[in-house]
Amino acid sequence: MSLLTVSQLSKSFGAVRAVDSVSFEVRPGEIYGLLGPNGAGKTTSISMISGLLKPDSGEVFVAGAAFSADPQKAKSIMGVVPQELAIYEELSGRENLEFWGRMAGLSSRDAKARATELLEALTLSDRAKDAVKNYSGGMKRRINLGCALLHKPKLLLLDEPTVGIDPQARLNILEFIRNLRATGTAILYTTHYLEEAESLCSRIGIIDHGRVLAEGTLAELQERIGGDRVFVLEADFKNTSPEAWPGFLQRFRVLQKNEKQLVVAAIGARDPADGLKELLNLPVHIENVSLKRPSLNDVFLQLTGRELRE
Amino acid sequence: MLRILLAKDLRRAWRNPLPWLINLIVPLAMTALIGMVFGGNSGGGGLGKIRFAVVNENSGGPSEFLRRAVKSMEGENESSIQFEPIFTNRAAAMQQINANKISAVLIIPTNFLSAYLTAQTNVSLELIKNPAESIHPAVLEELADTLVTALNVVSRNFNSEFPEWRKIFEGDGDYQKISALIQSTGDKLKNAKKFVNPPLVIYEKETTGTNATKATASAKTDGRKSSSDSLFAYLLIGMSAMFLLFLANNGMADLLRELRKRTFERYQTMRQQLWPFIASKIIFTVAMLLFCCLVMLGGGSFIFGFHWENLFPLIALTFAYACFAAALFATVVALMPDERRAAVLSNITGMFLGIVGGCAFPPQQLPGFIRDHVTPLLPSYWFADAARNLECGSATAPWLFVTLKLLVAGIFLAALSALLFRGKFKNGRRA
Repeated sequence: MSLLTVSQLSKSFGAVRAVDSVSFEVRPGEIYGLLGPNGAGKTTSISMISGLLKPDSGEVFVAGAAFSADPQKAKSIMGVVPQELAIYEELSGRENLEFWGRMAGLSSRDAKARATELLEALTLSDRAKDAVKNYSGGMKRRINLGCALLHKPKLLLLDEPTVGIDPQARLNILEFIRNLRATGTAILYTTHYLEEAESLCSRIGIIDHGRVLAEGTLAELQERIGGDRVFVLEADFKNTSPEAWPGFLQRFRVLQKNEKQLVVAAIGARDPADGLKELLNLPVHIENVSLKRPSLNDVFLQLTGRELRE
Repeated sequence: MLRILLAKDLRRAWRNPLPWLINLIVPLAMTALIGMVFGGNSGGGGLGKIRFAVVNENSGGPSEFLRRAVKSMEGENESSIQFEPIFTNRAAAMQQINANKISAVLIIPTNFLSAYLTAQTNVSLELIKNPAESIHPAVLEELADTLVTALNVVSRNFNSEFPEWRKIFEGDGDYQKISALIQSTGDKLKNAKKFVNPPLVIYEKETTGTNATKATASAKTDGRKSSSDSLFAYLLIGMSAMFLLFLANNGMADLLRELRKRTFERYQTMRQQLWPFIASKIIFTVAMLLFCCLVMLGGGSFIFGFHWENLFPLIALTFAYACFAAALFATVVALMPDERRAAVLSNITGMFLGIVGGCAFPPQQLPGFIRDHVTPLLPSYWFADAARNLECGSATAPWLFVTLKLLVAGIFLAALSALLFRGKFKNGRRA
């Protein structure tokens, strides 16, 4: 059974439709990645799921029960890690953890014990008594994450938890999240980093302009654009049009075209060497051809016509 | 839940006390400044001792008369103004005024007495005021005016006897003539008695039965004045009412910080009910306001040397007013869509309630329309007026009713702010 089911969730701010009929589900022991650029609707979706925002339409189910039926119960099942550092800078790391533990309903004793465990797991024990304002960015991020874990939530919502930190700190956090998955926690992870989604998530939903455009495992998404290979052709494509090349669009899917570059994926299962031969016979002087595995960026490119990094 | 939230805020304030300290120091500094200007805790709770020099260039006569008169003023303990005259020469007096040791110099010029008694020419006294001081020299100028008026009265009524008096002052008077002169002057004074005593116009301070008795009794026991006798008690209440608004504004600005830092949002991801969070902020702010008020009113009472007569009702009133002020600014924060606008509205609201509510100035000084139709509607006025009546007017002032009114207003505003916050969050508005 899914721990989180999101069904046809929509939200508008005035004329702007921030989230448009978004549906997905997250199962125990799974990391579901919601991948999209800034402003795609990721944070608005998490805000609605966590009860901060009231959806215009749609419903959220937590552990099989509608969120609206018993919001407090649903909140006790989930832990939310906001994108911003929602911690008290004047307090120490331990004090922050203990305070949010108490807010989550733990007794003073349990909150203390759990804070000690988490400080250990987050490798912050030696700085536990220092004020958070004296922590590095990575340490603050770790405390921010820890504050949502005091009550051992079955469902964890992570809103871009690695924004603005150095690569080493990011790796530490990602490793910590992988360990959480191993304990059976269902995790919803929003990000605009392709690498994070590729390396961390069991399933990925690609979101843009408030709509989930595609979802599935990494392999499933790669399959959408034509198997496991894409061809990158470099030539002068200024005055050319693939539509004019006989039978080309029946054999290849154009992912991206600009004056210097054409990115295509072969349609159907074919030997890459055959595809390469066909491309070299195009009525254009090809300067260079490279073959690569399709990335999530290519998927995004195919779905939206622009790169995620843009 | 409330206890945990309050402990968190207390810890945060303890770790970063600067914002509270600044807001506490400002009213204290102003109170101390006013205290220093008006003489501080010199025992009188009023202007304190006024040091001035008398320079007699006339030698003898009026100087001796003046010395005695001033000495009698010096010994007057009941007066709120204490004089400390020094008799010296012009050069020494000028040195002291330049060193800021005295407030003014009164100079009796050469031949003053002879010119006054012959009434041949206009005579004048010279008063040199210390430019570095404002209040004390002004008081001395008023006294010099009074002295001049008295001398003129004497001159107009005893003009015919002045030549004889002059001879006596110059030491060549005939004892028989002196006797007749004293007799005639005595008769004139006797006839003037019915005009002078009792005076035609009198000023009497209004006090009420038990209150006055109590005040007198305590003044005798601890040597300090009661609030009803002190102008500063009246001023301090207004100042405190005004500064409590600013402090409440500062306290509730922490709610804005929690919004900006998203800690308020994080709380909401864990708890469904908003009111404990808002209530904890209000309770914390009220506690800090009461502490600040203790410092302001207690410190003011110490500085100006008086005691509060009706302590329990005053505490109850202050508590209710603090509740109202904290809830008011919570509502302002909830009402405004962002921090900047909330800060502007909070400041304007505080200033408006302080000034139009008659805290910064006595309400009688406000323009008629505002005084009669706007001021009475403002809770800041309810508090200041009730507290002033209680401490500087009648003990039967309706403090309990005002306390209840302020509490009801505070509870209403606290509930309103919780509702506004809920609506604000549901619509996705953030700080």
